Amino acid sequence: MNVDSGLNLMAACYGAGALSALLARRSGRLALSVGHLATLAGAVVGLGVSLSVLLGVPGRTLAQPLPALFPFARLSLSVDGLSAYFLLVISLVAVAAAVYGPAYLRTYSPDAGPARQATQVLALNVFVGCMAFLCCAGDAMTFLLFWEGMTLASYVLVVSDDRDGENARAGLLYMVMAHGGTALLLVAFLVLTERAGAFDFAALRAAAGDLDGTTRTTLFFLALVGFGTKAGVVPLHVWLPRAHPAAPSHVSALMSGVMLKVAIYGLLRFAFDILAPVAGPLPSSWGWTVLVVGTTSAVLGVLYALQQHDIKRLLAFHSVENIGIILIGVGLAMILWRREGVGGVLATVALTAALLHTLNHAAFKGLLFLGAGSVISRTHVRNMEELGGLARRMPWTAGLFLLGAIAISALPPLNGFVSEWLTFQALLGGAGRFHGPAGLVIVFSAAMLALTGGLAAACFAKAFGVTFLGRPRTAHAEHATEAPPSMIVGMAWLGALCVALGVAPGYAMRLLDAPTAGLLHGPGASAVVTARGPMVLSAGLTASGTAATAISMTMVTALLIALTAIAWVLRRGSRRGPPRAAPTWACGMSPTSRFDYTATAFAKPLRFVFATLYRPRREVIRETAGTPYVVRRIHYAGEVVDLAETQIYHRVQRGISSLSQSIRARSTGRIHGYIGFVLAALFVALLLFGVDQ
Amino acid sequence: MMTGERSLGLLLFEMTFLVLLGPLVTGTIQKIKARIQCRQGAGVLQPYRDLAKLFRKGTVQADTASGLFRLIPVLVLAATVAAGALIPVVRAGPPSFPLGDALLLLGLLALARFLTAVGALDAGGAFGGMGASREMTLAPLVEPVLMMVVFSTAVAAGTTELGALAAQRGTSWVLAWHAADFLGFAAMLVLLPAETGRIPVDNPDTHLELTMLHEGMLLEHSGPGLGCMLLASHTRQIVTLGLVSALFFPIGPANGADAAGLLLGVGAFAAKILVLASYLALVESSYAKLRLFRVPQFLGIGFVCALTALALRIL
Repeated sequence: MNVDSGLNLMAACYGAGALSALLARRSGRLALSVGHLATLAGAVVGLGVSLSVLLGVPGRTLAQPLPALFPFARLSLSVDGLSAYFLLVISLVAVAAAVYGPAYLRTYSPDAGPARQATQVLALNVFVGCMAFLCCAGDAMTFLLFWEGMTLASYVLVVSDDRDGENARAGLLYMVMAHGGTALLLVAFLVLTERAGAFDFAALRAAAGDLDGTTRTTLFFLALVGFGTKAGVVPLHVWLPRAHPAAPSHVSALMSGVMLKVAIYGLLRFAFDILAPVAGPLPSSWGWTVLVVGTTSAVLGVLYALQQHDIKRLLAFHSVENIGIILIGVGLAMILWRREGVGGVLATVALTAALLHTLNHAAFKGLLFLGAGSVISRTHVRNMEELGGLARRMPWTAGLFLLGAIAISALPPLNGFVSEWLTFQALLGGAGRFHGPAGLVIVFSAAMLALTGGLAAACFAKAFGVTFLGRPRTAHAEHATEAPPSMIVGMAWLGALCVALGVAPGYAMRLLDAPTAGLLHGPGASAVVTARGPMVLSAGLTASGTAATAISMTMVTALLIALTAIAWVLRRGSRRGPPRAAPTWACGMSPTSRFDYTATAFAKPLRFVFATLYRPRREVIRETAGTPYVVRRIHYAGEVVDLAETQIYHRVQRGISSLSQSIRARSTGRIHGYIGFVLAALFVALLLFGVDQ
Repeated sequence: MMTGERSLGLLLFEMTFLVLLGPLVTGTIQKIKARIQCRQGAGVLQPYRDLAKLFRKGTVQADTASGLFRLIPVLVLAATVAAGALIPVVRAGPPSFPLGDALLLLGLLALARFLTAVGALDAGGAFGGMGASREMTLAPLVEPVLMMVVFSTAVAAGTTELGALAAQRGTSWVLAWHAADFLGFAAMLVLLPAETGRIPVDNPDTHLELTMLHEGMLLEHSGPGLGCMLLASHTRQIVTLGLVSALFFPIGPANGADAAGLLLGVGAFAAKILVLASYLALVESSYAKLRLFRVPQFLGIGFVCALTALALRIL
């Protein structure tokens, strides 16, 4: 496909989708169907564009000017390997969300008015369109415009679902955090554009070439905080577990699976492409900071996820974890890039791991959010303590959710394992490369990654087990039925992606060639990772750069399937006939759903083990009948705190309120008083900044 | 491209050998324990008799369980046995097929554990949930330490391929060990009871709710399904012991490709497994089971040993 006409077609699709909101004047259902169809068309075109760039000639950049909206900046689009790869990630999830969306919105809120449906269709198309074109931006102005469009559209979607106070508060927090981040990005970009005198990335690259070290590093840290806020790294993640669950589920899938990745795209583009020194490695403070931040996010994200009972909130915390895993790879690539010895090869392995995990996380997190959405649309309950027994009532949803759970827990043979394996290999290689304390930090990060994987498995054993297995705990769960076919198709698309990327990941390495080679100016992913053919993944670890460790996911899967077949024969046993059904053993009592282990109970031992981080609080009120041995009723309430929230945000909040209180004392309400303040401020500003000219 | 010293046939032979030998290791541990406790004990072949009996029986299934429940034992057994295919048993050296990575091995064992826990929650009883909760609490604490022990040997060798690790260590015996090896091995000795589900971490002999971890998850399985789960735990035990011997006591007769070399390799492996099994039996007879919330502190010893081993390797 011609890339220029592809981009035009993509813009037309998303534009038409946004305009189809007008159809809601006649019928809300029609607007929903047409709007999502347009999103689907845009996503399919996006897939075509990205695949044609990724599989075409590597290193080619396609640029297209946009209409001149501003006199001071030329807007343009430019698609290189990195842009195309993130466009691919966005489009893959958008396809699933577009297929899934209409049925979900109809079943979840059947009595929604046409106004709300129109808003959702409009915001969805603007949101996906902005993300897609943001990755194709060729200059800072276009980038920031689409960045803001993405933020605003997703805000509308967050508050669109229910008009209750909690959603509004989540939206407000999201808005404040997102714009705080954007402000920092604005500063970082404007410093560069002011020096370059132009907005396009090529000019910024040239201007960044003669920055001094301190400015360069300051700009990088501004961008890291700015993009980190959007990506939800600890401790900038507080908005994420509130805002993501509030949106409709297919939008949650897009926000968690894709929008966070756009921030990763921004970070990669800014650090490796624009800001990097012309020659020599990146300043070492960058990579180490990213590595440590990534490790912290991974561990804390999964630890907080473990204690959640709201299934969508739990998934949102897992996004913090996975962004952390991606950042471990990115940080390692920053550390190793352009270092002598095997650094170059290892940097490619690390970046490949990070980019592959970006795609993998989009696939399984999208799948899990859509699965959670199916449950919620059928039961209208997000608290998993009120669910249970859904596997018998919603077998397809349960099966696909289990697939996503295995993938996100980094268990073979699915895709999560592959990218974490590559991350481990890169970490191990890096540890061998750096002796001394630096090596120890890398190895510690590897151990924390292993801890993260184990905790994720525990968390999803809980999430899947409590939601789908055992007995239904409430009537909502009791009367649930399977989701409509279009929703299952949307989930199955992402599930198939998880299996394909897990069983034959070697073929995905072709897609990673252009972004890795383009960003690192070194060997492409497939030259390093699939040096022994597409069926075998290997990572160069030895000093000579030869592939020392290798695994073949295809062979392991084949072995697993063969062994499963043998075990199945064994399992059938010699005695034919169906199994006898009997009630579960409950020490002689007749079992009820109250006997099932709850999510709180399941996670309790870990709450004990990590009590220093959780600071758990619990409150038990007993109503006794005269004597303490006869308990009539018992009320239990327990919660864990988010350390970032209590230690940082609450203090900031208190500071801001006391500051506003003291300002309030000065606000008299008389207009000439305020004019006096403005004049005084102007005078001081002139004194400070106007003197040296 | 596919050059290696161990053919696919040998790999499958080693895997089958591990599965067949697994119950015998359990039987031997039980026998040694019985002797230490001044009992006669059942014969070492008792686990085989138990398995044969279970595979002949019918199945009783909880009426609340989903369709997944019948599949769980099959998948758990398959994942555990597949992990067995990655262990170098009779010969060192990288396999001709890319099967032998230590991280993949740990991943497959974790998959088996995850599926067991999911199956335990399926029946919907408090026992299964309790067992699953405890097992999934300790697993994330054991796995990183295990991985650090693997790293402490892998960093020096530059690979996580078990066969290649064993080959690099060669026939060197304890005399050639570094301080890091001793510490890594000490960490492994702490982890072994946890990974094989034995005292002081877990008690394999009882379903009592105060002590159980792994056994609680098997309560609702019956007949051939229970047989699959038991065979999987026997296999898991011998795979863990095999991992220790591959990391620390690599195979003696590395180069004999003929029948005599094969036989020698099998004999050496059996001897190493017997020594490690006696260690497990000894620990199990001489210690009491720890309280669940003391176990993390116990595993902490392993963590410190592994971290020090790694630090010594890298610094």
